[in-house]
Amino acid sequence: MYKTKIRGPLILGGKTLRNISEDVIAPIYQKAPLWWWIMLGLSLLMSAFGLWAMYVTISTGIGTWGVNNSVGWGWAIINFVWWIGIGHAGTAFSIFLLVLRQKWRTSINRAAEAMTVFAVGAAALFPALHMGRIWLAFYIIPYPNTRGPLWVNFNSPLFWDFAAISAYLLISVSFWYFGMLPDFATIRDRATSKIKKSVYGILAFGWKGSIRDWKNYESLAFILGGIAAVLVVSVHSIVATDFAVSVIPGWHTTIFPPYFVVGAIFSGFAMVLTLMILIRKLYNFENYVTDSHLNAIAKILIFISLIMGTGYATEVFIAWYSGNEFEMFTFFHNRITGEYTFMFWAMVVCNALVPQLFWSKKIRSNLTALFIISIIINIGMWYERFNIVVTSLANDYLPANWVNYEPTLVEVGIYVGTLGIFILGILLFMKFVPMMAISELKGILKFNKEQKH
Amino acid sequence: MTNKYIIGVFDDEETLLDAVRKVKEKDIDIRDVYTPYPSETLLEILKIKSYFTYYAFLYGFGGALALLAFMYYAAVIDWPMNFGGKPSEAFPSFIIVTIVLTIFLITVLSLFTFSVRTDIYPGRKAIMPDPRSTDDKFVMVVAKDQIRNMEEEYHQMLKDSGASEVYEKEMELKIKP
Repeated sequence: MYKTKIRGPLILGGKTLRNISEDVIAPIYQKAPLWWWIMLGLSLLMSAFGLWAMYVTISTGIGTWGVNNSVGWGWAIINFVWWIGIGHAGTAFSIFLLVLRQKWRTSINRAAEAMTVFAVGAAALFPALHMGRIWLAFYIIPYPNTRGPLWVNFNSPLFWDFAAISAYLLISVSFWYFGMLPDFATIRDRATSKIKKSVYGILAFGWKGSIRDWKNYESLAFILGGIAAVLVVSVHSIVATDFAVSVIPGWHTTIFPPYFVVGAIFSGFAMVLTLMILIRKLYNFENYVTDSHLNAIAKILIFISLIMGTGYATEVFIAWYSGNEFEMFTFFHNRITGEYTFMFWAMVVCNALVPQLFWSKKIRSNLTALFIISIIINIGMWYERFNIVVTSLANDYLPANWVNYEPTLVEVGIYVGTLGIFILGILLFMKFVPMMAISELKGILKFNKEQKH
Repeated sequence: MTNKYIIGVFDDEETLLDAVRKVKEKDIDIRDVYTPYPSETLLEILKIKSYFTYYAFLYGFGGALALLAFMYYAAVIDWPMNFGGKPSEAFPSFIIVTIVLTIFLITVLSLFTFSVRTDIYPGRKAIMPDPRSTDDKFVMVVAKDQIRNMEEEYHQMLKDSGASEVYEKEMELKIKP
């Protein structure tokens, strides 16, 4: 079993097993604070805006978007890749650290997994809406049918994407939910009100916590963890091949799969940092989400940011080194300079340069700085996707086809809507679900004691 | 069918482990132990093994073969399509779907296996000796007929090992090996 004296105590404040149950369950028992209601109202408004935009898209068609013959993929795909990227870190965080037996994941994994579930749900909306005729979405499922008999094309990355996202959604939801069973049981057994007892009783599935149950529970966690680790890498590689198998300048490169996977983990870790700072601050969880936790995430972000910077530099170098004039044009006249210059440099500054501030311990231990930089990274990652999707399509091989792309209100509405749905999900998670894995926190308490000696 | 059990309640893992070792030394069969979190040491002492990972491997192996066979049937035998003259038997491009959907199958089947083995389903009523074991207590259960003629000695042994409470309870415990 993994033990270290390097990381220091993972839970502060001399907590007992009972304290942990009480602290983590407390927000479920307390009345929701004012900020929660304000944010709930805001997220509902945003979701309503999104639902209106989705209704317009479905009832009128893709013509309500700003996409055209050249830029066939606009905000929908940018946002799809952005959300999938954010969704990646939850599983990456939780599962990679589980497989590596890193005990410091315990305070953070639950929130990271919740983030994954809501982000992947938001992401899945975009390709569905982009189909135009969403009511025919079932055509993509391979089953014997009366339309041919026509099967789906198993060689298409778009089908791989469908299969990968379905699997990813299933595994993230089940990993999250089954991980919560012991905690729901704790709430059930501590509840004094009848309603809470029966609601959490149903949610707990009759969990008993016998030693045989725990053995199976741990086996399940490692099985799902092991196979989901493969999925984390494959899902975003597949999203990357959606681009890389085409012959569009700026897309047709072999660096895309690893570049996308790293970018996804980068944006997701940044979102985990944003979320954990909020949870720590709003619910006074300083003893569980310690400075050491935030410090560790910031250090990982520096490392990934360096890989991102190397990725950007490699793309530009290969464009020059290949001598391909279309690649040269895309990178040197359409990204580094040209109409979309701002997007390119925003991406470089936000993702490759700003996170380098984390080399300073002072900044790593300043909550406000951590929070602002984590938001900047997420904005930067959005610009990265804009760069990839729009610049390559707007100005490709034939100047006669060159167009500008601007999103319409409907496209903006769908994006705002998904943000609303995501925030709504997180708010409900904060209020009704234990934000940290209670049983896992209890399990690491003994390592705290050992470190004191 | 209900049985009588002796329930020992402990306040921390170390005390429980000491007691479990002592009870094992006396060759008394421990029906079950309930803890707020998984204890590796306890699993080692009780020699509890699980073949769950082997099942998962079989699900994956069988699932992968079935998926490859299905794709071969659909894309090569049943309805071959011509995409720019590429061969319909495009084995390398079947691999990705196979990996991803194998993961899908392993997940579904593992969740089902887990639910059956731990006897859980939505709305299931939890049958456990002491509900405090999901909070901060560690509970050891021994069937009363196991300690016939030595009940008092057993009670004293638990107390000496640091049990905070020892009591008798009649209940139905379903335990899967």
